[in-house]
Amino acid sequence: METKIEIKDLSKNFGKKQALRHVDLEIGQGMFGLLGPNGAGKTTLMKVLVALTKKTSGEVTLCGVPVSQCSQIRKIVGYLPQDFSMYGNMGAYEALDYLAVLSGMGKKERAKKVPLMLEKVNLGDQHKTKVRAMSGGMKRRLGIAQAIIHDPKVIVVDEPTAGLDPEERVRFRNLLCEIAKDRIVILSTHIVGDIEATCENIAVLNLGEILFHGTVSQLLESVRGKAYTMEISTMELPMVQEQFLVTGILTNGSTASIKIIADGLPMEGAKPASPDVEDAYMYLMGQLSASRGRE
Amino acid sequence: MFGALFWKECKQVLKSMVYYLYVAVFVLFLSSQLGSEMTSNMEKPEPGQGYYGTTATHDTAAVMESKLASLVSETQWNSYATYPMGFIRRVTLNETELAGIKEIIEECTGKSWEELVQEEEEHFGQYGQDTVEQAIQAQASYEVSPREGLTYEEFCENMEKASKIIGAGSAYSKESLGRGVSVPMTYEQAAAEFDAICSKDRVTGATARLFCDYAGIILAVLPIFLGVTRCLRDKRAKAAQVVYAHEASAVQILGSRYLANLCMAFLPVLVTSFVMQMPYQYHARTLGVTPDALAFLKYTCMWLLPEVMAVLAISFFITELTENAISIFLQVFWAIGSLFSASGLRGDFGLHLVCRWNTVGSTEAFWGQRAELFLNRGCYAALAVLAFAVAVLCYGKKRREGETIYGRLFRRKGK
Repeated sequence: METKIEIKDLSKNFGKKQALRHVDLEIGQGMFGLLGPNGAGKTTLMKVLVALTKKTSGEVTLCGVPVSQCSQIRKIVGYLPQDFSMYGNMGAYEALDYLAVLSGMGKKERAKKVPLMLEKVNLGDQHKTKVRAMSGGMKRRLGIAQAIIHDPKVIVVDEPTAGLDPEERVRFRNLLCEIAKDRIVILSTHIVGDIEATCENIAVLNLGEILFHGTVSQLLESVRGKAYTMEISTMELPMVQEQFLVTGILTNGSTASIKIIADGLPMEGAKPASPDVEDAYMYLMGQLSASRGRE
Repeated sequence: MFGALFWKECKQVLKSMVYYLYVAVFVLFLSSQLGSEMTSNMEKPEPGQGYYGTTATHDTAAVMESKLASLVSETQWNSYATYPMGFIRRVTLNETELAGIKEIIEECTGKSWEELVQEEEEHFGQYGQDTVEQAIQAQASYEVSPREGLTYEEFCENMEKASKIIGAGSAYSKESLGRGVSVPMTYEQAAAEFDAICSKDRVTGATARLFCDYAGIILAVLPIFLGVTRCLRDKRAKAAQVVYAHEASAVQILGSRYLANLCMAFLPVLVTSFVMQMPYQYHARTLGVTPDALAFLKYTCMWLLPEVMAVLAISFFITELTENAISIFLQVFWAIGSLFSASGLRGDFGLHLVCRWNTVGSTEAFWGQRAELFLNRGCYAALAVLAFAVAVLCYGKKRREGETIYGRLFRRKGK
């Protein structure tokens, strides 16, 4: 069975609202980043993949299994939802053991794997900590442990770093990269930094449509030579923001050091700079809104 | 997987505050209702005892005598007990209404009101009024004879008029007349009743019925809270999505939850019934009867288990469908309706959720109605299976399609 996700012409409607429009994607082994603003349709796409939402049309297969075969899909998928939580009165071990039972694991297997997974996500010392007493980061780590405990081929994590402090975020990213060695891990987020740090292959989703699908290098290529930095007076800032796509501002008294993405030299004194993924993402989204404005 | 899930669910129930409230309310309710009354009706009757308790009858002559006696007593005190919504409400009439009632009484008895009052005072004067027992005996044996030539139809018409004056839920309504009346037992009747308790019920059967009567009332309501709490727990803990995404089927997930809650809900029923039967086992032996040691188990499983199953399954179904606590209001309303729609406190099982047999004994009458009770309980067991099956379908649908049917309907309407 090939470790691959194929999405062909996928659409999902909620009444008259179209949440996904003719999405085509092919996702191979390793980390895959799904980037998009809030409301882009990322969670809907994730839910279709884990058989928690029925697609309206199109074809979706995970490792050759159509998503319509819910019970088969659930065997090969691990899912960490956006607001993961468990029953507050359960300890970390108890909660993970409960979810492992739901994954069809036997008593002996659970006794072996539950402590192992808790160690892996750095919750070994806190196996008795009640879920209600856990920090956001601890809950997410417990969430990832439950998503991988049954050794799935596909892991779907929806906005896993939202609300985490920088240290927890870095730790969580590293954990995801670690588990993505021999399986597909789809990371859905609106935080560009998470994608930049972990994924090589990405897709950008907006208003239910795929705007970009390729590698991070390809996305960066689209803004190569279009990033500039310059020093301006803070008085000029509103005018510059109106005219150009400003992706970074660092104010220092009455002056501001800004980063601009523009197709040509934006202003006198602008110096070429190296773009990052966030610049490329902003440029992509900016182009889209410009084209929509023209329409 | 099912076994492991079942035990985990049982542990979760044991950790729930709602469960301890369930047990506390159940035990408090039963201890407040069941007292020493259970053995008082199980003494061997002796000839010349004077009073042997009462028995129900539908004999028209007895109904007329008893109802007229009751109407005279209530009119004398101008205080009429009515049950308009199942709860007692005392009605006091004005002068005109009271005169109307007195006219009806005079029409039915052929005697003047003053004569009737004098007869009543004489009757009650024969009995002392110092103890409750004396008062009960005096009331039970008080009868007012109808006038000669009064047909039962005429009597019913007059009672209907009286019922209209007094108001809904009075003891003189058509429904109330249909329930028959309690009349004092003769020695022979009491002896036959005692024999039946000893031979057919082996004492504990009779007390188990009274236990089931009271327990059935509270069990029409309490399991709702367990069901609603369990079904809303995923949503409250924000764990629904993560549970949905796992391999276990809807039948396994809901089945283990339902079964665990059913077992835990029934456990205090079994324990309480076991504890409560002990003195009656001893009492049976003092009467020279070998008690039926399994009577409480048999009666609770046959009488109460289908009720708990149905109440719990329906709460599962409604809560899975609506994802809110509306089931509590709907089912409490249903339980109260069922409790007060029964035409009496003994028998008339029909399809009532709460089956009543509020007496120790009346063994022959109960055995005569056993088939009706079995049918009733069978229907509720079937209803439980059906409600659970629909709850599983509903859960499965939510899991596959991502939202509730209820949520979808109301979201669209709201738009």
